[in-house]
Amino acid sequence: MTEKRRIPIQVPVLARVEGEGTLELHLRDGAIEDLRLRIFEPPRMFEKLLEGRDYTEVADMVARICGICPVAYQMSAVQAIESLFGAEPGPWVRDMRRVFYCGEWIQSHSLHIHMLAAPDFLGYTSITEMARNHADEVRRGLRLQALGNEIIRLLGARSVHPVGARIGGFHHAPARAQVDALREKLQAALPEAEALVRWTAALDLPAEEQEFTAVALRHPREYPMNEGRLVSNRGLDISVDQFATRFVEHQETHSTALHCLHDGKPYLVGPLARLNLNHDRLPPPVRALADSIGIEFPSRNMYHSIVARALEIVIAMRETIRLLKTYDEPPAPYVGVTPRAGTGYGCTEAPRGLLWHRYDIDASGVVRGARIVPPTSQNQARMEEDLRTSLRSLGVRQGEAALRRRGEMVIRNYDPCISCATHFLDLRVQRR
Amino acid sequence: MGHRVHIVGVGSPFGDDRLGWVAAESLQRSPVLNGLDPGRIVISILDRPGAMLLTLWDEADHVIVMDAVRSGAAPGTRHCFTGDLATSRLPATSHGFGILAALELARALGDSPHRFLLCGIEMDDSGSGLALSEAVAEAMPVFVHEVEKEALALANFAQSSETKDL
Repeated sequence: MTEKRRIPIQVPVLARVEGEGTLELHLRDGAIEDLRLRIFEPPRMFEKLLEGRDYTEVADMVARICGICPVAYQMSAVQAIESLFGAEPGPWVRDMRRVFYCGEWIQSHSLHIHMLAAPDFLGYTSITEMARNHADEVRRGLRLQALGNEIIRLLGARSVHPVGARIGGFHHAPARAQVDALREKLQAALPEAEALVRWTAALDLPAEEQEFTAVALRHPREYPMNEGRLVSNRGLDISVDQFATRFVEHQETHSTALHCLHDGKPYLVGPLARLNLNHDRLPPPVRALADSIGIEFPSRNMYHSIVARALEIVIAMRETIRLLKTYDEPPAPYVGVTPRAGTGYGCTEAPRGLLWHRYDIDASGVVRGARIVPPTSQNQARMEEDLRTSLRSLGVRQGEAALRRRGEMVIRNYDPCISCATHFLDLRVQRR
Repeated sequence: MGHRVHIVGVGSPFGDDRLGWVAAESLQRSPVLNGLDPGRIVISILDRPGAMLLTLWDEADHVIVMDAVRSGAAPGTRHCFTGDLATSRLPATSHGFGILAALELARALGDSPHRFLLCGIEMDDSGSGLALSEAVAEAMPVFVHEVEKEALALANFAQSSETKDL
């Protein structure tokens, strides 16, 4: 038997990603024997915390799950509860929820592009190091992120853990003058977002194609965000209440985050999956921009995720401008609802991908059970699959530093939020 | 012509973590600061601004950030650091981009304010709920007065003596 050589490397591999975890790589005779993304951040028990709470408390509680995508948590929750109660919040609320969500996409994608992905592709260890040579691009990223935050604040009162959303609509409708001022700012910044798309497309991204199943929402007319059916590039087409029939979460002993598989297999959610499945839903000016950058969608290159994110920033800015153009202050920013016993389902497109919620509620409106499936747990098996492919193609005989660098790049490309999924990263290589 | 000072209270609604907000609210009522020309003193109340802190600096010559501090000192101890304080040893993440990381990014971009002060009070970790601990509540009036004095001095900072402290 070959002598076992174990080299534990204590490196914060995912220093720029939230949460605690390790990448364990077992190599035998120069081949990958086992690869595990171990996540050991303590579970946060949010679903249990929701039990026994009144339905009116849910939107504010789930907003606390994530500081980057609180809107997503709120939107999946209100959709689930309103569908159970048979509430119809009307077109004003529908439009403003889309605006609210656009704000989150803009801020979250700007953050990911500039803080996580771009430093990897340009060979820097951090945004701060990158800023010394790419100051204009970093400033542009910060301005776009600030605009996203401003949209969230418009409807949510604050950008982190906003408090404006409620079952039935919003607590408050912004004044027309405030809306007009923000719309003008977005219009002025649109060329910057379009320049960001061209900048990401010109990055020297690894040219590596992979086979993967992509899953996203699909809407009859719109680029999906708040509503739609669940579809895949392998023929899936189900309503959100059927999610659990085709997507099953299970516990892996090496992780405190649940792994979610689709028909027993890994799959991708997030910007690239959305764009691959919905490029025909791009608004015409964004379609023209996408057609001009020399990248064809659907794409099988996972690194095109950064370009997909930049394109989604442009979509979100144009959608916000469009929806705010005809803004009027409504008589009331919400509709009243009447609790009804049963189970409600909600699924929306968080910046990182599908976010599915299920609530069991009793006749008095108290939550009796909750299930939340965040995008990172859905992408976890896909990340492991991608790591196997990418490290094999890099060559596993490479030194630990090279393996670690590539491993980090692969994982960060998914924009994982480990804390939401339960939760990063030492690399441990075991060579035999 | 004096300088523009941006005072930022950072925190959350919980326990001593809200002390930056309480101090900022108190300074918003300060007759001394309100007596200055409009725009000379801007006061913001923020929940974890992350890298967005930089976007507030655009218009300001000087920045004072007020936040809860955890250094091991006795609860209620008042602190004030200048911008040359040691680099943060905590890694900046997409979700956890602290005040020092924001300051380092500003330096890398060449966008640092002329003077940056981080003022805080040592928090009492044993506290819970929404109220300030006794130790922090007791230290608050003196703390607010000190920040007010500092802000006034910076706002009246003579153009000729302008220096880069960062």
